[in-house]
Amino acid sequence: MRVLVIDPDKARAALVAEGLAGVKPLEVRSAPSFEEVESAIDGFDVIVIACDSPDRDTLESLREQTAHNPRPVVMFVDRSAPGLAEAAVEAGVAAYVVDGLAAKRVRSVLEVALTRFQLMQKLRGDLAKAQADLAARKTIDRAKGLLMKERGLDEEAAYQLLRKLAMDSGRPLGAVAADLIAYANVLKGGS
Amino acid sequence: MRLKLGFIALTDCAPLVVASELGLFEDEGLDVTLSREASWANIRDKVAAGALDGAHMLAPMALTAPVIAPLSLNANGSSITLSKALAEQVRGLDDDEPSPRTAHALRRAIDRRVELGERPLTFAVVFPFSIHAYLLRYWLADAGIDPDHDVRLTVVPPPRMAARMLAGDVDGFCAGAPWGAVIEAAGAGEIWVQGSRLWRGAPDKVLGLAAAFAAREPNSVQPLLRALIRAAVWADEPANRETLAEILSRPAYVDAPVAALRRALIPPEPFALHFHAEDAGYPRRSHALWLLGQIRRWGQIDETVDVQQTAGRVYRPDLYLQAAEAVGAATRGRLLDTEPLTPLFDGRAFDPARLDDYLESLPLGRRPAPGR
Repeated sequence: MRVLVIDPDKARAALVAEGLAGVKPLEVRSAPSFEEVESAIDGFDVIVIACDSPDRDTLESLREQTAHNPRPVVMFVDRSAPGLAEAAVEAGVAAYVVDGLAAKRVRSVLEVALTRFQLMQKLRGDLAKAQADLAARKTIDRAKGLLMKERGLDEEAAYQLLRKLAMDSGRPLGAVAADLIAYANVLKGGS
Repeated sequence: MRLKLGFIALTDCAPLVVASELGLFEDEGLDVTLSREASWANIRDKVAAGALDGAHMLAPMALTAPVIAPLSLNANGSSITLSKALAEQVRGLDDDEPSPRTAHALRRAIDRRVELGERPLTFAVVFPFSIHAYLLRYWLADAGIDPDHDVRLTVVPPPRMAARMLAGDVDGFCAGAPWGAVIEAAGAGEIWVQGSRLWRGAPDKVLGLAAAFAAREPNSVQPLLRALIRAAVWADEPANRETLAEILSRPAYVDAPVAALRRALIPPEPFALHFHAEDAGYPRRSHALWLLGQIRRWGQIDETVDVQQTAGRVYRPDLYLQAAEAVGAATRGRLLDTEPLTPLFDGRAFDPARLDDYLESLPLGRRPAPGR
């Protein structure tokens, strides 16, 4: 497991290393702030950050960038902030470690975070695909309707024509349908 | 009634700090603890969790959180700052010096970097959901610079911005006061264009109150708003601005040099940062819709979110007006709901009732085309 700890408090960083002793292979690197390790971030499986670090905002923005390969984030939470940990998890933090936690639990928290994160990534991917499929189907239906109206075809013939266009051009059905709608708009004088 | 409010170290946390320092909360029978937070993410999470009852909050953050915004804390105050090196490069390419400065000269600098095979420029904001992110994106896109492809857009905590700029790994940023002035004073960069020149009266921070708190303690909301409106009126008084700069500069609040705070509070130009004047406190539905539009433009929310409904749920001018009237600070009342907004620097009119048309008319953006 490759773990990056962003925390100016060396004791907490040491706690993580201690808790993971025995995990092989293991690499734990700690830094007081994100910028010092920014270029190396791709080399880690999980990031552990203190909740009072201003770098939380930077980590959140990384999650937004689709091009960036996201990493699960585990947060150290101060016990004086009840409920914060749960809210952070809802906002996308994978798991949390409450201050003063025994080193022996660190390993399980990180492992749970990794598993949970991978599961969430998969669900998100599935959802995005389902949404894209649904959007493509709507576009195909609109293109079919257009062909039926303009060319006087029945539904099946309109669909076959679309499929032929897609196969001839070697492009996905949804893309061909979208083009057809766009061109039809232009011909009608739209933009 | 005891309550806890969060804030971030910025000049526009002034209404909260003033209400606390001047005893205005006590006047209204409230026992308020202010808590300086390290990140916007913490503000959002703590308010959502009830660890804070409310906070100084980025308006676009409030619009995507379980809060109500019964008060807008300020207008104007942000600026786009370029590093010394980039400012020099861009200045050389600025032949017609438009006012306010557009990003066209920057576009030429970027094109040249691409030709020379130099690394892309890095621009920073303080949070992805912020007026700073949307002003910067709007300004870049207006000149044909795609903020998601032609530059690298990142988030850097403002207190570290000067060091990052001096190190050469941040070339420009957009943030609220006093951070542009702090960077200038450190010799790391130059305020290139004031946000108020891009959009006079741009909405910025709001008071975000946990929706659960407002529902549980409706009788505390009005005293809280009255205290903050009185503080905003005090903070706008020119005679009080020196004192305000001194108070804010203290380690417990913004923790920055007084000179940097004076820059936004006592500036030479009009349309500067204000808290109450020009109806700055009124949470305008049209502002909420403009911001939601930008959130949508850059693909940060699901297309299915009902923006009209969201704006109505979060922004609560009714609560503001009740409090403003009670302290004699209300001006044009509900008229502000229908008054058209001052356009941005590109002059494009914004009609909140026709948000989709407005978004269609804007260049670039990651918003999927309808039907796809």
